[in-house]
Amino acid sequence: MSKSKKFTQLMAVVVLILGFAVSSAFSAETLKIATLTDMSGPYAELAGWGNINAAKMAIEDFGGKVLGMDIEYVYRDHQCKPDLANQKAIELYEKEKVDVIFDCPNSASGLAVNNQALRYKKIFIAITSGTTRYTGDLCNRYTFHWAYNDYVLATSAGMWAADNLGKKWYTITADYAWGHDLLKHFSAALQKRGGTLLGNEMVPLGASDFSPFIIKAMNAKPEVLALLNAGKDTVNSTKQAVEFGLRKQTKIVHALLFPEDIKAAGPEVFADNYVTASWDWKVDQPGSKEFVAKWMKKFGRPPNWFNAGNYSCVTQYLLAVKRAGSKDPQAVVKALEGHRFSDFFASPGYIRPEDHMRVGKAYILRAKKPSEIKEAWDYFQIVGEVPMEQAYMNSKDTGCKMGDF
Amino acid sequence: MNIQFVIMQLFNGLILGSIYVILSLGLTIIFGMLGIINFAHGAFYMFGAFVAYTIIAYLIPNFWVALVMGPIVMALLGAACEAFILRRLYNLPPLYVMLFTFGLMLVLQDFIRMVYGAAGVPFRTPSLLDGAINLGFMFYPKYRIFLIIITSFCSLGVWLFLSKTKLGAIIRAGTDNSIMVDALGINISRIFTFVFGMGIGLAGLAGVLAAPLQNVSHLMGVDFLVDCFVVVVIGGMGSISGSIVGGLIVGEIIAIGVMVWPPMAHTLIYIFMAAFLLIRPRGLFGREAFHE
Repeated sequence: MSKSKKFTQLMAVVVLILGFAVSSAFSAETLKIATLTDMSGPYAELAGWGNINAAKMAIEDFGGKVLGMDIEYVYRDHQCKPDLANQKAIELYEKEKVDVIFDCPNSASGLAVNNQALRYKKIFIAITSGTTRYTGDLCNRYTFHWAYNDYVLATSAGMWAADNLGKKWYTITADYAWGHDLLKHFSAALQKRGGTLLGNEMVPLGASDFSPFIIKAMNAKPEVLALLNAGKDTVNSTKQAVEFGLRKQTKIVHALLFPEDIKAAGPEVFADNYVTASWDWKVDQPGSKEFVAKWMKKFGRPPNWFNAGNYSCVTQYLLAVKRAGSKDPQAVVKALEGHRFSDFFASPGYIRPEDHMRVGKAYILRAKKPSEIKEAWDYFQIVGEVPMEQAYMNSKDTGCKMGDF
Repeated sequence: MNIQFVIMQLFNGLILGSIYVILSLGLTIIFGMLGIINFAHGAFYMFGAFVAYTIIAYLIPNFWVALVMGPIVMALLGAACEAFILRRLYNLPPLYVMLFTFGLMLVLQDFIRMVYGAAGVPFRTPSLLDGAINLGFMFYPKYRIFLIIITSFCSLGVWLFLSKTKLGAIIRAGTDNSIMVDALGINISRIFTFVFGMGIGLAGLAGVLAAPLQNVSHLMGVDFLVDCFVVVVIGGMGSISGSIVGGLIVGEIIAIGVMVWPPMAHTLIYIFMAAFLLIRPRGLFGREAFHE
């Protein structure tokens, strides 16, 4: 080998070693935040880049540093697959050494991350998935639940609709963990208001033809049909319910309905349907309009409440780190527990120490008829509000035994 | 579960079956004539729906125009695909063609996702067919009845074309022995292009017809593709009547499954296919030489 080649090789090795030394010196100084979300699967439009951008914006607005540490940000795609989510969580906690994971749509995936959070003793804040098990039988000291849960969706919409739309219900449920959880809570809410569940249809997740179930539902002549599904299933079931003329006698209540779904199917499909939401871009809370304006300027459309929830959550986490005076997970957990706050998303908001649920009020939304839509993305009208104390389950009843670290 | 509901469900099965019939007609023609297993068939079905959406949303807001233009555009696309790319792969082992169609499926799906987003696009039933007919004991959507009618006409049309016209005879001969047809002086490669185009056109037609019923998104073809293969296998690969009967059978199995045991409804068709193949590997009307 020539002399110059040997020299180049030696320099390369020296630079590499220096590089490692330098980078390891730096890694002790950063706070590393991760978002695990669905970037290419069924929830990509609702969560995906919207939630990633929300986290990035929150970090930027915070100043990019906390307690003198730089904030490093990474994100991963789990495509709504629980095994992939599990793998990514391990990769993030162990290889990337992140201090916290945010988001995780799809409850089954979230429960996998929940496990890993406890195993690695690092924080996980579920935002976009709804299962009440995060704050129920599978609760642990490192997991928090932020934007909503199935109980809120079911109880707020359930109680309001039972009071205002009708007491005889029929449900069409997506046949998996989330659907079952929703059905449980909707039935309970309905019963509390003196209503009756005439029947339920379990539909395999992702089915494209709902006609037999809709026909069965119509035969029972309910006043309200609750569609306990999301995304593509919501669009298909609603489209077909309208096709069969179900809406002539029955009102429809959704578990989850987003502006993206309405845009995808066309507003006439969802006109006069009802749903619960933790926030809406039209809400008149302090800070809300400013946040919406900033988001509109940057992305050309208003944020949905998953995005807003992510922004709020990341910001509150960073504030908790500041309060704790350290990024140590246990210290941050203690700083989050019991914290009362008010931001544009949750006004007021409270992080319950008993089950780590962030509670706040819930809104009841009605999807507008096409003739009522005055501007782009103006799909909902806020028709009701459920206060914080009623919206979420009493912490005595959640079944959570919050352990130690 | 009363008798009215059962009748309704069986009728529903026909509707579902109709979509399968048109989709499988294309698949079976392509396989019968060209020996190609077209993994991209579901993606072409989806693409057809999006072509129709684009026509309606940006060019001429008329469903009937889109219903005619959509399949024509898809047929041309299919023909171009065959003429410029597939043709070069015929000399290679069949695996290469399968890989190509699989890759094509991924490309088509992601292309649509990039252009239209992952949530899907709105697609309404045409106003003429909006609403439902009062059948006495319940209302049944007009559009679904239209579907059965148009599918019957299409299947009849394809069958008549293939059995009564000269071109149809050439295609059938080519299916049996393409080398001999070539030796007889007929430009077999042009026939191949035509057949592939026709198959894809049928897939596109199925897409446009199904669009008002479901969420038109880039993944709408994925579920249908596998079921389509089941139909073609049950009916006999390469057989027209096989696709028609097979498609209706599969539709009815799913409909009955949904009545009796919903979580297993979709799985039942695979069980049926497996059992059927044990008894009769060639399918209902398939050719013996292939399988036995």
